[in-house]
Amino acid sequence: MFESIIDPTIGPASAASQPRPTLADRPESLSGLRLGLLANTKRNAEQFLADVGAELARQYGVVPVLATKKPNIVDTAPTEIMAQLTDQCDVVVVGVGDCGSCSASAVADGILLEQAGIPAAVIISDAFTVSADAMADLRGAPGYRYLTTAHPVANLTAEGVQARATQAVPAVAAMLTEPVLAAAQPA
Amino acid sequence: MTASPEASTDDPVALAKAAIEYCYEQGWSDGLPMVPATRSDVDACLATTPHPAAEIIGSQPHLSRSITVAQAAANAIMAGCKPEYFPVVLAAWQAVCQERSSRGAWQSTSGPAPLIVVNGPVRQRLGINYAGGAFGPGFRANATIARSIGLMVRNGYGVRPQQLEQATQGLPGRWSICLGENEEMSPWEPLSAVGGVAAGTDAVSAILIRTVEYIDNRSTDSAEAVLTDFADTLGRMGAYVGGPHSSGGLVLGPEHAQLLGNSGYSRADVQQWLFEHAVRDPADMTAAGKGEHVADRPFAMLPSADAIPIIVAGAANAAMSMVFRPFGWAAWAGRSVPVEWKDQ
Repeated sequence: MFESIIDPTIGPASAASQPRPTLADRPESLSGLRLGLLANTKRNAEQFLADVGAELARQYGVVPVLATKKPNIVDTAPTEIMAQLTDQCDVVVVGVGDCGSCSASAVADGILLEQAGIPAAVIISDAFTVSADAMADLRGAPGYRYLTTAHPVANLTAEGVQARATQAVPAVAAMLTEPVLAAAQPA
Repeated sequence: MTASPEASTDDPVALAKAAIEYCYEQGWSDGLPMVPATRSDVDACLATTPHPAAEIIGSQPHLSRSITVAQAAANAIMAGCKPEYFPVVLAAWQAVCQERSSRGAWQSTSGPAPLIVVNGPVRQRLGINYAGGAFGPGFRANATIARSIGLMVRNGYGVRPQQLEQATQGLPGRWSICLGENEEMSPWEPLSAVGGVAAGTDAVSAILIRTVEYIDNRSTDSAEAVLTDFADTLGRMGAYVGGPHSSGGLVLGPEHAQLLGNSGYSRADVQQWLFEHAVRDPADMTAAGKGEHVADRPFAMLPSADAIPIIVAGAANAAMSMVFRPFGWAAWAGRSVPVEWKDQ
């Protein structure tokens, strides 16, 4: 009856047309692989990832080779940072999504890395799963899997960050090594 | 179509209600009823602007979303605008988009709102209120121009509350803050002239804000006493979110503006005075758990004198003003946008 009403959501670019991104193949083991860290600008993000990297090195034998920080929380990492990560690293940990924009963009970073053939583990605080999932939908990857840590992260002490990072490490390792279908592809 | 299947074409009121309900069911609404937009409504908007229907006027590359002039028109009509408001909507949208903080603002936990300020004769022509009750409600142009921007974010960018939008609390009046500047009672040049557009030209400025708070001071004829009151509110710690400084601006009621003007203060003088006096002892900041980046003593809470926007609006019936709090650290980009009309 109301077909003549204009749909105000129809714009020039529709995410629905995006092809489903292909996720990277997983290695059987992390031992000896080069690890990259991609932090955003949120408080404690760099320390969280550094602690995760150190524990992954100690427990699983990865070699941390590159710790980067992207310049803003809204956008995906710029091309030059993405190139560094894909050139120099075998696996990447991304985080910590602890705000409205940055949780969504961390998921977008993870998907871009996967498309470039780099297994990625994205860490989001559990207050922002809805916006992380919405970004996965926008990128054509509904059901994209990431890891959560309890919100908030920004107010943790150095010891609190370390404890939280240590707690996350087994799941990070699993996400980087379990076969794609189980680890990162929707059911 | 599930809206009121019993709606009968021989009862136009029932039909109108069913059309409104249909818009709700599509998920287009911000919660309030929408005016259904048809092709002829969009065409009526397009007839007011030199911009072509397909022109892209905003993008969120990280969301793979863009918005066109025609889409803006549909949302403006749905917000309740008359077609002749549309050039102001487009200028407001451009003013909002050029704010550096607007890229991530719509998803932010801060949940900021555009403070839209209109200058020029368009205020009288479209009935944009700049006098009593300037912050609203009660005036169609003010209410619907601001609402258009919210619907464009929702429907154009697909940013919806509790989904991609993650506002922790939001703020009262989000998507409804559009006021004219009371140029007639201001002692200074229009805000748009500060923003680079000649006085007397229709222009829109926009600042993303997180809240407003009143300052009621009717007890003194001393400019410095009133400025002291402003500086106290501007210098408080709550709005400080870490980093180099807090942020703040003023919508002065005409009585305060005229007291300052008559006392010899230019807009720049007011800004300088407030910058110098809105300060804190770093020990206060440390006591509140906010001392991490605070070194200077005293610590200037505002970024710089010229980053304290000063606007004049409201009625000259009581000496009160509003402090507003810009989102992020960028304050105001400082560029106003001329309104473009088709016949110019």
